[in-house]
Amino acid sequence: MSDDAVNPEEVRHVAGLARVDLDDDEVDRFAGQFADILEYFETLDEVPEVDREAELTNVMRPDEERDSLDREAALENAPETEDGYFKGPNVS
Amino acid sequence: MTAQTVQQGDLVTVIGLEVHVQLETDTKIFCGCSTEQTDEPNENVCPVCLGLPGALPVLNEAAVEAAVKIGKAIDADIPEETRFHRKNYYYPDLPKNFQITQYDEPICADGDLEVAVEGDRRTVTIERAHLEEDPGSLQHVGGGGGIDSADYTRVDYNRAGTPLMEIVTAPDFRSPSEVRAFLAELEEVLEYLGVFDAERDGSLRIDANLSIIPEAEIESGDVTDIGADALAAANRTEVKNISSHKGAEKALAYEETRQKNAIQRGRAVEQETRHWDESRGITVSMRSKEEEKDYRYFEEADLPPLRVSGWKEEIAIPELPSARRERFQAEYGLNEEAASKLTSTKQVADFYEDVAGEFDPDLAATWVADNLLGELNYRDMDIVELEGRLEEVTRLVELVAEDEITAKNAHETVLRGMLDDGEAPDEIVEEEGLGKTDEDEVQQAVVEAIDENPDAVDDYESGDDGAINFLVGQVMQKTGGSADPGDVNQLLRAELEQ
Repeated sequence: MSDDAVNPEEVRHVAGLARVDLDDDEVDRFAGQFADILEYFETLDEVPEVDREAELTNVMRPDEERDSLDREAALENAPETEDGYFKGPNVS
Repeated sequence: MTAQTVQQGDLVTVIGLEVHVQLETDTKIFCGCSTEQTDEPNENVCPVCLGLPGALPVLNEAAVEAAVKIGKAIDADIPEETRFHRKNYYYPDLPKNFQITQYDEPICADGDLEVAVEGDRRTVTIERAHLEEDPGSLQHVGGGGGIDSADYTRVDYNRAGTPLMEIVTAPDFRSPSEVRAFLAELEEVLEYLGVFDAERDGSLRIDANLSIIPEAEIESGDVTDIGADALAAANRTEVKNISSHKGAEKALAYEETRQKNAIQRGRAVEQETRHWDESRGITVSMRSKEEEKDYRYFEEADLPPLRVSGWKEEIAIPELPSARRERFQAEYGLNEEAASKLTSTKQVADFYEDVAGEFDPDLAATWVADNLLGELNYRDMDIVELEGRLEEVTRLVELVAEDEITAKNAHETVLRGMLDDGEAPDEIVEEEGLGKTDEDEVQQAVVEAIDENPDAVDDYESGDDGAINFLVGQVMQKTGGSADPGDVNQLLRAELEQ
């Protein structure tokens, strides 16, 4: 990374992709935090290279049905539900 | 070529497709939840397809087999190694906020499919075909139900994780009607392979890229030979939300006209994504979507790579529709139209071969292609609905072949009765008294008709040949329509000459 700074435009773009609405103060704050996070990743450069575990290929399962969750359990953690559906805001 | 292209000879339409087809498996692509359609929301869901933390996807072998079959049918390469990627985007139909799909190492590459377009044979290049998971389904509730105006969203993840194959063509199409012909052929092939069910709701979804370029950019002789520069120079629109052959033809015809009108009025065509609104019959601009880099594709570390190129040899596929069409013409002496009708689905073709094996192939063709398919079509029925009753249709053909009933009665009374009332052919023949009347009975009716209609006899004898038709009608009435009118005519003449 040539430059630690993350510019505000990049933050706005990423926020747009994540559908998060940020005000100008937040954009500035996140620009700093993004830069910090990217820096943490650079720590990985110091990890020595290790051989991968034996190479796995073709891990598959037969086309056999297994029990699904009960609907109640599936919806249990949803903040809002309606008639068996997850319910959320308008997503235009 | 459409009328428009001919009229506006200086412009050419260029179309490429991304076709999503649902693969017929019992369970989802990465978990054991059923793919059965149900009206109950969120019934077929589990931690994997709900994207709950820590859940591990495991690939469904049947989906890979189906992909290899498709690859074989379109003569594609199955690379030595193929793998999955995560495509990141944030929308509530994706519980994980990414879709597991394939990116730069798809399971099928460089295939093609031959299509008959208005009498011409055309080869459409299929650049790639890859496996991926379907998202869930959203309902936009309230505010008139539109996406923009809805009050809130309801989400059902039953469909999330259903295996899909995305088939990507080269920009080889020059008209909406070519697209329709291609989709019909593709569907036939997929149904023959047994990996696809056209009747299933949402089983076929199409995105189409369309642009208009100057005709001068086409290299002489080959309509698919367009310079890459010319394609890159033209703005294209991507039309989404197409779900049938007919819809594709209509949506693209609309889009073709819209772009040509813009060009002819000197306006630029914008590069954008448009939504096909089936009910209004128009395409509408969608708000700008992510660019490819925004999807931040990266390798799906939870799924080890696949090495299945050897499966291409191991997995057998049935004779495909185009080969079968040609064989039907050669083996049974059918014309192209009949061969085409009779190979339209595997079930129809299999049934035809059964019947043609027992009786005269021409008679079998008339019965299966014209009578049976015609009556089914009229009733909006499919041959699969006759499963278990096809022997009855064979029996009906036998009754005709052995001259036990007339062809007219067999078709108009027996076949229709079988389809409408679910009765067996012999029952209907019995109830309606359709068995061909024996000769004595016909002779008796002839004598009676002559005795009872002296006026008609006088007319005939004084040279009015038309009077014979009246007498034939009388005999037919007496025999309940089961006599052969030609025979009756001859018998009457013989009797009157005496």
